[in-house]
Amino acid sequence: MGSQSEMEKIIVVQPEKCTGCRTCELVCSFTHTGEFNPARSRISVFTFEKVGFSSPVLCQQCSTAACMQVCPVGAVSRDNKTGAMVVNSSRCLVCKACTIACPLGATFYDHVSDSILKCDLCGGDPECVKFCPSGAITYQEAGEAGLARRKAVAAKLKDVYEEVS
Amino acid sequence: MKLIIDGKAFNAYPGDSILDVARREGIAIPTLCYHEAFGGQGSCRLCTVEVTAGGRSRLVASCTYPVSEGIEVKTSTPAVEKIRRNIIMVLYKRASGSVLMQKLYREYGCSENSLGEKQEERCIVCRLCVLACEKMGTSAISTVMRGIDKRVGTPYDQAATACIGCAACAHICPTGAIEVLDSGNIRTIWNKNFNLINCERCGQPFATREEIDYVSRRSGIEDAELCFCEECRRKKLVGKMQGFSPC
Ligand code: SF4
Ligand code: SF4
Ligand code: FES
Repeated sequence: MGSQSEMEKIIVVQPEKCTGCRTCELVCSFTHTGEFNPARSRISVFTFEKVGFSSPVLCQQCSTAACMQVCPVGAVSRDNKTGAMVVNSSRCLVCKACTIACPLGATFYDHVSDSILKCDLCGGDPECVKFCPSGAITYQEAGEAGLARRKAVAAKLKDVYEEVS
Repeated sequence: MKLIIDGKAFNAYPGDSILDVARREGIAIPTLCYHEAFGGQGSCRLCTVEVTAGGRSRLVASCTYPVSEGIEVKTSTPAVEKIRRNIIMVLYKRASGSVLMQKLYREYGCSENSLGEKQEERCIVCRLCVLACEKMGTSAISTVMRGIDKRVGTPYDQAATACIGCAACAHICPTGAIEVLDSGNIRTIWNKNFNLINCERCGQPFATREEIDYVSRRSGIEDAELCFCEECRRKKLVGKMQGFSPC
């Protein structure tokens, strides 16, 4: 489990800056899998043409992480160095419970590697942040601002579901 | 604690098996019935190594043998290789249909013409699937029968009530012996047919009702909130950020 440490950093998304270029998807899949394949990227960009709006979506490294809660073998844990939720693939049973549980759809099954993929913050040096040409993704200390932003995302998500049910 | 593996000294923690140390140090020892989620079972014996302790040498299963101070381990000796080759020969005979066993059979240079009687068979009864299902908390499958008839199955080979269709058993199987078929809205595994749930937004089938119930029970998240595929969950979030519904 563990709380957010002082020095811990989180990825903050600013959709208003995103141009929908999808560079982050390519960089992510290339960094982790060696191929340019958005389907294998741990960050995904959605564009709503009608309203001219784009935004990347990726794991928020939740404080109470559903993926970790549902895993029957403790294969999901928080990396003490980066604070990222990481999947230990040699422990994982590929039951996919975590992929059903994640409210953001940010943990998913990859057919090619037959394993579960999710954002691991690139071990503390996220590539998507470095390559985003419009500054829509930043990696910043999990201070007040960052955590507030994350809370806002969580709250919005709750609305999404309430609207549905 | 110190031990020697193949002439080099290594440190071990209390409770470590020889295999634990070897894996940590990047020393290759072949295994079949070992998985990190359960530890060693000591049943396939492919992980056999030679251990010298107190001046006596023995052949042991490295996945279950606990390290003690000063032991010396050899991971490859003529005796060790011979045992491994014999194991591969026996398992290949039992499960000649498995691509992995065919590959190991060649790699270990098993020259004898020992084509198995069960050429279609792929299961080597390593029990990894049974352990995976146990860990899931479902325990839908177990080993049935004894001796050479021993195999894995559901109670009376009927569709098991406990099975949730997660296919963890099929994924963990090293020899690809467990069939799981997704065809349209139906998933079939272990003689059981599951109706797949369609994503509320895009209509794609993505999980069984039983899997969703399982996740709901473990996470406390309502079933209704779990009825969206991964992609649609992401899309919904993005839409919401901007204050409109993408549906
Ligand atoms: S797929 Fe792997 S990591 Fe995810 S819940 Fe199952 S065992 Fe845990
Ligand atoms: S598919 Fe059924 S038998 Fe296989 S691990 Fe899941 S619950 Fe157990
Ligand atoms: S891996 Fe050790 S006995 Fe099977």
